[in-house]
Amino acid sequence: SSLIPPQHRNTMASKRLLPLSRRAYHSYTHPQPPGPFTAVESSILSAAIPHIPTHGFTHTTLSLGAKDAGYVDASTNLFPKGAFSVVHYHLWSQREALKKHVPRLVGEFGEAGKGTGRKVMALTWERLRGNEKVVHRWQEALAIMAQPSNIPTSISELSSLADEIWFQAGDTSVDTSWYTKRATLSTIYAASELYMTTDRSEGWRDTSAFLERRFEDNMRLGGVVGSVGQWVGFTARAGVNVLRSKGVRI
Amino acid sequence: MARPCCRKPLNLATQSLLYDFLAPSCFKTARLNRPTRQFSTSLRCLSSSEPPHPHPTPRAGHEAATDPATRSKPLTQAQRDFLTSALRVNQAGELAATLIYKAQTPPIVASHPHLRPLMKHMYDQEAGHLATFNSLLAKHRIRPTAMYPIWTFAASALGWGTAIMSREAAMACTEAVETVIGTHYNQQVGVLLEMVEGMEERGEEVGEDLKVLIEDIRRIRDEELEHLDHAVENDAQKAVPHELLTGVIRAGCRGAIWVSEKV
Repeated sequence: SSLIPPQHRNTMASKRLLPLSRRAYHSYTHPQPPGPFTAVESSILSAAIPHIPTHGFTHTTLSLGAKDAGYVDASTNLFPKGAFSVVHYHLWSQREALKKHVPRLVGEFGEAGKGTGRKVMALTWERLRGNEKVVHRWQEALAIMAQPSNIPTSISELSSLADEIWFQAGDTSVDTSWYTKRATLSTIYAASELYMTTDRSEGWRDTSAFLERRFEDNMRLGGVVGSVGQWVGFTARAGVNVLRSKGVRI
Repeated sequence: MARPCCRKPLNLATQSLLYDFLAPSCFKTARLNRPTRQFSTSLRCLSSSEPPHPHPTPRAGHEAATDPATRSKPLTQAQRDFLTSALRVNQAGELAATLIYKAQTPPIVASHPHLRPLMKHMYDQEAGHLATFNSLLAKHRIRPTAMYPIWTFAASALGWGTAIMSREAAMACTEAVETVIGTHYNQQVGVLLEMVEGMEERGEEVGEDLKVLIEDIRRIRDEELEHLDHAVENDAQKAVPHELLTGVIRAGCRGAIWVSEKV
């Protein structure tokens, strides 16, 4: 880090501590704000991605990426978090890449509002498939993500992914279910991603079946909770109305 | 204010690659601005929220990358934070208003059937406002307030409680809520107008979304103040613990607004 001028070291360190998901208000009339990586960082990290299958999520991958992008080896000092930057870039770029599947899914399952559940499952599957090339190194990435200093960013990326999937699938609910949907999808995705690291079947068949079972469980549970809630609501309203019809002033 | 090196068009393919690395701050993208705590005192921050390096980033759109003098700039973090919390609070407020009217209607109408059309009219308008904000939140990917179930319960309880007390108390509740909401929307319109003014001064494109939002909030504010007038016409001032009731409800509303902005 001796090559970085001292007055810039603090800003760069604090930049990484800023919470990731300040995504908020998505504007359609203004350009998007910059992502979590600067132009230089993006070029190094995107050049590092093809080296992951051979060298894993390590500092070596980062320096190979720097070399490919045309920077000196020491430019890996731009990444105080080291290998986590590669993990982070992989997570971020895979999430951004989900958009390109949307037109095909809209063609298959219908316009916005129709087939949301199936689109969510399809998008989750596409995101899992995005890990195909690196899945044999993914347990390494999970270990890096679980380090205490990296946990906030990792969780933030997971919740951003769940939000992105629901949004691209055309979900427009903005009540409490906004939270429950994203929480359940985060859990399903994390479990499936972990399962995929041990999957040796042809074309990830086992992972696909695992994913479907998780979604089915979720729907069944949601159905039960919904039914109970409906029954309780109906009984309460009916009770109040009966009392009103008897003349009780409530 | 910008350093000479930042005026270079961003063209990483040139030999400036090495120089990029040696002086990264010159080519760094605009960093996130610190969010403002109270949006009502953030006027200065929002209108003068130009980042210190007004250097366009390549990821902010093709126009921005190729033409540094483009009119279309990304919204700053402070602006986005304000819009997010404002719309979130508005949705929570309309949810509460809808539930208050829904809970107030049966007891009121049972003893004062002539108030049915008025209650229906006010409820319909609030339901329309809620639908507006619901669609805005979904469109702009804003998280609804986490207090949603709590506000649902609290608003229903408030509506039912004041309606049980008396018709005047129910009207006083409406008066209190609409006063706070009217002021709140007015404040928001003020901040938004100042934001737009700042953007126009700097020659930035304001965009249809913001202008339509200002018009919508103005219209909604006017309808809320109309409800306030209806409530006062219907003897809201005659409620027996008027000062106490309206004081408590106004304080509760302001507290709910503050919480919904954060949570």
